[in-house]
Amino acid sequence: MENNDASSPERKLQCSDVSKCFQLLERILDGEHVEGGNEMLQEKLDKCQPCFAHFHLEQAIREVLKTKCTKQPLPDKLAESIRQMIQDAR
Amino acid sequence: MSEVQRRKYSQEERSTIFDGEFMPHIDSMYNFAFRLTFDEDDAKDLVQDTYMKAFRFINSFEQGTNAKAWLFRILKNSFINDYRKKSKKPATVDYQEVETFYNSDDVDYQSTSDLRAESVRDMLGDEISNALNGLAVDFRTVIILADLEGFTYEEMAKILDIPIGTVRSRLHRARNLLKDTLKGYAQSMGYGRDEEED
Ligand SMILES: [Zn+2]
Repeated sequence: MENNDASSPERKLQCSDVSKCFQLLERILDGEHVEGGNEMLQEKLDKCQPCFAHFHLEQAIREVLKTKCTKQPLPDKLAESIRQMIQDAR
Repeated sequence: MSEVQRRKYSQEERSTIFDGEFMPHIDSMYNFAFRLTFDEDDAKDLVQDTYMKAFRFINSFEQGTNAKAWLFRILKNSFINDYRKKSKKPATVDYQEVETFYNSDDVDYQSTSDLRAESVRDMLGDEISNALNGLAVDFRTVIILADLEGFTYEEMAKILDIPIGTVRSRLHRARNLLKDTLKGYAQSMGYGRDEEED
């Protein structure tokens, strides 16, 4: 599904504008609408090694946060006690 | 006020909204509360208070709109007003200070450029969780909202009462701080060794 080749001869090793490129990649990963975003993303992933690595790192971070930090178990009876409070408040 | 309190719900409608639109978010609400307070009892109280307020002000909620964002905003305000003061944690760094301190993105990128996607994926849940919990509350909050709960920048701006540009820059800096911590973990796990040998 995901091409994780560490490097490719097609990609340049220096990014021309790290700050601008990375912020753009992050906005795309955050699901924000970026004009021409898909084409720009494909271009950067194909042609620029720092952008390629940064994109996959950012993607991995979002993925682990989502899968590993959302499982705080709900205390027993919390939902029940809230329903009870609402009943009593009526 | 005048615009949102355009109507009053009947008792039946209130029950429908509360059970159908508010209660389904209780897991996310509790996770958010726990990551703000780091205390099970405080988190429970915070969630209960939030649901009580949501019920009391239900007429200012428009049925069918974004209930989750509406609830998160109440919870975050309750946390700031009632809990932050008495929090057991030492005072966190004011984000303004940190934002000024980390004023160069290029410096951040250099410091995290040798952190790899594969080492992040290999980390344990506890490590990721501790790295997140170690962030100052304002930075932690934007990561929770964006990455754990999937809110858009626009929704986050409403929840936090800050401009979208501030959401974007705070989130960006929060992730850089998180990456710094993860990079430390990765090094202690022995990743990135190939680069040290060069
Ligand atoms: Zn680039």
